[in-house]
Formats: sequence, C-alpha cells, structure tokens
Amino acid sequence: MQVAFRYFVFLILIYLKQLNDYIDHTLLKATATKEDIIELCEEAKRFKFYSVCVNSSYVSMAKEQLKNSDVKVCSVIGFPLGAMTTKAKVYEAQNALKNGADEIDMVMNIGFLKSKDFDGVRNDIEGVKQKMPNNILKVILETCYLDESEIIKASELAIQSGADFIKTSTGFGPGGARIEDVKLMLELAESSPVKVKASGGIKDTNTALEYINLGVSRIGTSSGIAIISGTPPTSHY
Amino acid sequence: MNIFKHIDYSLLKSTTTEREIIDFCHDAKDNQLNSVCVNSSYVALAKQLLNNTSVKICTVVGFPLGAMSTEAKVYEAQKAIKDGADEIDMVMNLGYLKSKNYVSVLKDITDVKLAIGTVPLKVVLEISELNKNEIIKACEICLDTNIDYIKTSSGFTKSGATLTCIKMIKKTVKNRIKIIASGGINSLETAKKYLETGAHRVDTSNLLKVEIDNLSHSYS
Repeated sequence: MQVAFRYFVFLILIYLKQLNDYIDHTLLKATATKEDIIELCEEAKRFKFYSVCVNSSYVSMAKEQLKNSDVKVCSVIGFPLGAMTTKAKVYEAQNALKNGADEIDMVMNIGFLKSKDFDGVRNDIEGVKQKMPNNILKVILETCYLDESEIIKASELAIQSGADFIKTSTGFGPGGARIEDVKLMLELAESSPVKVKASGGIKDTNTALEYINLGVSRIGTSSGIAIISGTPPTSHY
Repeated sequence: MNIFKHIDYSLLKSTTTEREIIDFCHDAKDNQLNSVCVNSSYVALAKQLLNNTSVKICTVVGFPLGAMSTEAKVYEAQKAIKDGADEIDMVMNLGYLKSKNYVSVLKDITDVKLAIGTVPLKVVLEISELNKNEIIKACEICLDTNIDYIKTSSGFTKSGATLTCIKMIKKTVKNRIKIIASGGINSLETAKKYLETGAHRVDTSNLLKVEIDNLSHSYS
C-alpha cells in the first residue's frame, strides 16, 4: 500500500515537474572550448534544462548565451578539490555572481573534514553563503572519499552552515553518486529545507529516474540529452 | 649536485589532513628540499611549520583545471602570498587555449603576474591535454610574459611529463624560461634524467616515499 502511494506521489511529481527540470546540464572539463559552451547552452535552451553548470571562467559567456531564456547559470567554486582558502572561494563566488551566475556549487574542504576541523568546514560554507543569501548554494561533499560517518558529518555541517543543497560528487573523483549515499543524505536533509543533488556517473534515464524516485531535487550530468531522450550517452563525463 | 635541492615536493590531493601536512613539511625540512607545494587552504599552516627553514612554500592557483575566472585566480594568488606563499603555480586556461583565444590566455597569466610582483610564477601547461602545436603555442604565449617557470603537468590528469616534451619546450623557450617536470615522476633515477634533459627542477609527490621504501627494503 505504502509502495503504491509513493509511486502515485512520484507520478504526480513527474507530471508537475518534467525530467528536464531536474537537470543541471554540465560541462566542466578543463579543455572545454568556447564552442563547446555555446553548444551546451543551445542544448539547454532546446531541451529546457534547469541550468547549465560551467567553470567560473565561462560564466559571463554562458549568461550571454542564455539571456532571454529561463535556463539558469550555475558556476562551480573551489573546484574540484575544495582545497582553496575560504577567502578565495568567497571571492570566486562573488565574482561568478557578478558575472551572471544564478547558483553556486562549491566543494567542501574535504581535508578539513578529514582533519576533524569542523569549524573550518563550517566557516568555509558560511563564508560563501553570507555573500549570496538570495542565491542557491550547493555544497559538494565528494562522497567517494568519505565513509558513512563522514557523509553524515559532512551533510550535518553543510545543513547547519546554510547550504540550500547537499550534492554528492564533482565528477572528477574516482566515483560518483551511489544509491546508498543519496538515501543517507536524503534522510539527513529530511527535517530541513535542504535538498539533495545527485551527480557523477548518471548517464541514462533509468538511473536518473531511480534518484528522482528516491527524492533528489536535482541531477548533475553531462548526459542530459541521453537521459531525457532515452538514447545511449555519448559523453564520458 | 645535491639533487634534493632541485626537488619540489607536492601534496595536493583534496583529502589531505593537517596531520599529513605536518609530516610532509617535516620530511621536506629533514631532506632539505627546495620547496613544498600545498593547496592554498594549507599555506598558512605550512608557513608556520617551515618558518626559519630554507624550504620554500609554493601553492597552486586555479588548480587543477585552470578554468576559474582570471579575477578569482588573481585573488587566490594574492591571498596565498599574504598567508606566506613564496611561489605560485597557476594552471593555464586550457579552454581558452583550445578556443584559440590567445589574448585571454595571455591576460590570465599577466594579470596574476602583475598582482604578485616579484614572487616567482610558474605556469602549468597540462601537456597531457595538448597536442604538439598547442604546447608550442602555450610556450610562445608564456614567452610574451615575464613568468619564471613553465611546469608540464598538474599531476591530476592521465599522464605527466615526458622527456620528449621537455626537449620540445626547451627548444621553444630556450633559456628564457626555466622548466619544471612534473606528474608521475617517482624515482630519483627518473628525476635525474629530467634534470639532465633540460628541466631545472622536478616536482614529485611520492619520490621520498619511494626512496624511503627502497632504503627499508635494502635493510630488510
């Protein structure tokens, strides 16, 4: 009965919010050219993806490409290591917002987390959030490097520090999103307004739907077109 | 030649803990290495640990993708110097290079150099992602700046320095810019080969560990 009810809710959600609305259409490889970014933006407009996610040096170009469209621009910060100083992350975020970013995906300082310097982790996130109270901040935990207790701690710290989303992966680590990690993050975020973004290695419709069915609000992927059209992916990212 | 004086010792993985930085800085001090290279959030700690030693502190900027905005690279570099960095390694904007937007590649580098003044600047080309023409073009752009070193690799891609590539860079920049071989160099033997081929310095993250392992094997 409960399963049937959940499925029913899921169908309503899908009806209200199309699959494309979940997708941050992502291109973060270092060698992405101007033409690649233009194509990414064109695709995002054509398929009505929620946003494009790019490195900060391409934010103004993406914004220009997407003016007069509903597609948002998301920039990564401190990416993909999360190991730059808090002040530099804050500056990079402010600069990206000034250049037209609507949302920021920052990488948590994983080294501080592993050193149990929890104040350091908190200050890092709070520092960025303070400068962008009205924009969405997603905090990437890079779950492939964390054990269960570290995922719990990382999620709690991000939630306490003002994150709007907790996000699994950069796509640059040895692993991406995993069902069990996402379930755990969803549980931890349940009693807060914080949402979950699954990313890294999500390349086909079934996998994307599996995560959405679990309750994630956003999918980060370079295979957005394959996901919404059900064709095999061409990208490895 | 004291080979250790030509070795930059890097610890850049994102999961690095404070404890690892402490051990790492002690290693560098004990072996009188030229420098340690850490991510910018650990510069202040490394400075504290290496104060009053000859080991220099180097940090990375826009690392490892090189795809962050020029303004953010400039800020990250300035902040790191304030925290105690003696040298800056920045990654070239590879996307701009591949887009043939050479003006922006140049500006990215000159803006950082301008902001950090006399502090030595190394530009990481990330040769594994470039073809021969792109490597030459990247070197030519560097020749139009007053950077101090060209560095082959970040160590975060599929491969690092090659001897062929060191020769090619050397042929292009002559003696006007020094070369640092980096990425995948994990023995003193290999390090020597690079130095003989024209690299001025060698950057490694695991050479000491390898050498220490060898020593312990020879004793066992």
